[in-house]
Amino acid sequence: MELLIIPSLFALAALVIPRNFMRYFGLAGGVTSAVVAIVHAVYYAPTTKYVSLFDPNWTSTFGLSYKMGYDGISLIMVVLTNVITLLILLSNFNKELASNKMFTAMVFFMQVALLGVFTSMDGLLFYIFWEITLIPVFLIALWFGAPGRKQALIKFFIYTFVGSLAMLLALMAIKTGICGNLPAASFAVEDLMAVQLSACSACWIFGGFLFAFAVKIPLFPFHTWQPDTYTNSPMAGTMLLSALMLKMALYGMIRWMIPLAPESLESYKLPIIILGTIGVVYAAILAIKQNDIKRTFAFASISHVGLIAAGIVLLNVDSTMGVFVQMINHSLVAVGLFLAVDIIESRTGIRNMSELGGIAKQAPKFAFWFGVVALASISVPLTSGFIGEFLLVRGVYSYNWIIGLVIGSTLVYGAVYTLRAYQLSMYGPSKNFNFPDLTWNEWLVFFILMVLIVILGVYPQLVIDFVQPSVTRLFENIHSSKILVQ
Amino acid sequence: MVALIVIFISGLLSLFLAFAKKPWLVLLTASAGLIAGGISLFTQFYYQYDFIHYEGLKFDGFAVAFGLIAILFTLLVVLTGYSSFKDKPQHTGDYIALLLFSLTGALCMLSFTDMFMFFLGLEILSIPIYVMAGSNKDDVRSSEASLKYFMTGAFATGVLLFGIAWIYGGTASFKLDEITAFIYNAEGTHSSLIYIGLLMILSAFLFKVGAAPFHFWSPDVYDGSPHIVTGFMAAVVKLGAFGAFMKIFSVTFAGLHDFWAPALSVLAILTMFVGNLSALKQIRFKRLLAYSSITHVGYALLTIIVQSPDSAFNLWAYIFSYGFSTIGLITVAIIIHDEEDRIEAFRGLVRRNPFTGFVAILGLLSLAGVPPLMGFFGKFLVFSEAITQYPWLVAIAIINSGIGIFYYLRMVILVLQKEDDDKPKTPRHKVPVLQMIVLAICALALLFGGNMLIF
Repeated sequence: MELLIIPSLFALAALVIPRNFMRYFGLAGGVTSAVVAIVHAVYYAPTTKYVSLFDPNWTSTFGLSYKMGYDGISLIMVVLTNVITLLILLSNFNKELASNKMFTAMVFFMQVALLGVFTSMDGLLFYIFWEITLIPVFLIALWFGAPGRKQALIKFFIYTFVGSLAMLLALMAIKTGICGNLPAASFAVEDLMAVQLSACSACWIFGGFLFAFAVKIPLFPFHTWQPDTYTNSPMAGTMLLSALMLKMALYGMIRWMIPLAPESLESYKLPIIILGTIGVVYAAILAIKQNDIKRTFAFASISHVGLIAAGIVLLNVDSTMGVFVQMINHSLVAVGLFLAVDIIESRTGIRNMSELGGIAKQAPKFAFWFGVVALASISVPLTSGFIGEFLLVRGVYSYNWIIGLVIGSTLVYGAVYTLRAYQLSMYGPSKNFNFPDLTWNEWLVFFILMVLIVILGVYPQLVIDFVQPSVTRLFENIHSSKILVQ
Repeated sequence: MVALIVIFISGLLSLFLAFAKKPWLVLLTASAGLIAGGISLFTQFYYQYDFIHYEGLKFDGFAVAFGLIAILFTLLVVLTGYSSFKDKPQHTGDYIALLLFSLTGALCMLSFTDMFMFFLGLEILSIPIYVMAGSNKDDVRSSEASLKYFMTGAFATGVLLFGIAWIYGGTASFKLDEITAFIYNAEGTHSSLIYIGLLMILSAFLFKVGAAPFHFWSPDVYDGSPHIVTGFMAAVVKLGAFGAFMKIFSVTFAGLHDFWAPALSVLAILTMFVGNLSALKQIRFKRLLAYSSITHVGYALLTIIVQSPDSAFNLWAYIFSYGFSTIGLITVAIIIHDEEDRIEAFRGLVRRNPFTGFVAILGLLSLAGVPPLMGFFGKFLVFSEAITQYPWLVAIAIINSGIGIFYYLRMVILVLQKEDDDKPKTPRHKVPVLQMIVLAICALALLFGGNMLIF
């Protein structure tokens, strides 16, 4: 339970801490919660079935069981959340924002909500935490964002809120029984999984979840909120959105959507993979055509997650391992890229790539570290991106080789837009900026990112061993509790 | 019955105590009367005295549960309104007495057992509101509201009476249980008198709760009335009307469910869309609240359409959560005290008065149904009960919740925003202690009440 309580306490305390100490306080909170999560991970044996965090052993008359806990799948997300939150706080450390009490409080609030999403073992609780995450990220973007943020934020909020309502509908349908199903005993995940769905209701329930997750991932036709929101949010907001909130949806697909309605997975598999593929290609082309460097990386994010979404619905252990490695890689790369964008923007005031250039000469350290992150984004071998994309593309290829070929082109596109952005901003004729090099906290963020990226790239077994038993068990549960129509 | 008498007498007392020119005395009497009324209502139910059943009135679990929140809401409205009564101290007694009389009517409407008491209750509920809607005599819109409400309301009452007469013609009784028994016994062989009467009563009810297509009075009346009256109408009057609606339709006319449910479903959908789509472009706060309340009526109608043993509880929970949000928001609007009642006046509230702004955000998000606030759980209970019988109706309601988030969110953003630099800064608003208490109660209820609802 301390996983959730510590950030909550920090969030509350942030409201009363004096301004001068605020950034040290934020950092201390980030380090504490990251350490707690890592200790949990160290003491967790991957073969353990399930660790309960909170279980009152009691269900309200309405079926809310309040169960919280984690297995390998949840724990890896918990560790990821806490480490990324620490990196976000660290990368804001020398900015004025870090001394703002509301900002610090909201980051911790977001952390609590995300941890709640990842550790809820109860459908309604999951939904509640899922919705709560909207509030802090919305407030961060509203208070500290760019001037044009209001329209973008309304679009973002409505889009995701409507998506979530569809999920709520699906949860209610599965709990109370629809199309002649028996109702579930409670919202606890095992009770919901035990419901045998008819073909018609499984289709609706899967669709409800898919809508919520497709908006948040974002999958191809539901992505229109994303570039505007990313561009108009402050750095921390963009990082929270891309590195963590997006992972909520991917996690939700693995933990909730597929286990609850696997009956209709077969009929949704091809559409999701095709949408993912379209997203990969379409967003990559848009990313290549962008002039705004932040927008480029926003579209790059859509392009990368399309592949992950396609990998999830394949429902085999290998590509799911790829999903996890790639999710972690995507978070690390997103933090790195958006930090680099923010460094450029805050020092030159420009995001337009045609007006940038020659930064590498003035800030060689920055150029080096940006380059490392860019290479990880391109999935060069020895970085975590390579492992993840390799496993995913291989999975899709064995499902259908034509789609595999198309989706595999992400590696080429990725190189094009990332290197283009890197080259246009870093090299070329110098534009006479006064560009101070990295400060220590920015350097530290890049350094930690590089260490993690290389470790995962060389030894992905670290993650795979951690997650694999839980994933295997989850798949077995899906097969045993439901009669799958193959 | 004791509760009714206590509240009525405290209303009378406050009317006469107003001569003492000491507004706090009136407030004290009224609050004491309301609390005593609440306690007696509760004990009466708890100890099951034998005089729980009177000729025409019956305080069963339904009446007590709804009656208690009616009393609570009235108390909150009185506390909120006290500081704005102070501008016209000579009217404090009138206001509070009329509020209490109206509450008496609401309690009758929750506990009647025959059509006669129902009609009396409805009139006792409405007439003080007609008066109070026009109480802001300097404002032409207030007079307009009063006149409009009175004319249309009187017409609706007429239709209702006519409907009751038709029902009497068909069943030869005013008593609810006799009508219920008659309808069940004569399954399928009813005379058309009953159907005509039912439709008339239905349309009168739709008028009273403000459902489309009988909703046209509500934006104008909400907009024109003083804030307190608007809050009272949104919370207590709606509660009384819905209580009676449920008593008559879900119990007495349950045998004719197949006849009225399809019509009511269509009207519920219409109500949701009308309320939501009209609310999108509003610039005045109370009009927005009126249209939002129309939408919420649409959601609440689901509990009446769905035939289930939990319907009454769901309706109760829904009105409970709705009332707290509305009273909180109305209190905030009273604190802001904008002459034109513009939504724009909310701009930057959270920077001027952090706590007031916070409650405003809670109220708005709760109306929008964002978890973990109370409004979410109210909606959740209603929808999850309805989904088993009317999945498509719930799907439409969910779409409407999605539309609704737009205008609530626009206001939330306004509350959170900085004020424009070029305009003169609005000074910090003074918040009287009593309103602070109301805001605190609303905030606590909205934050933590939801969990209580689904226990």
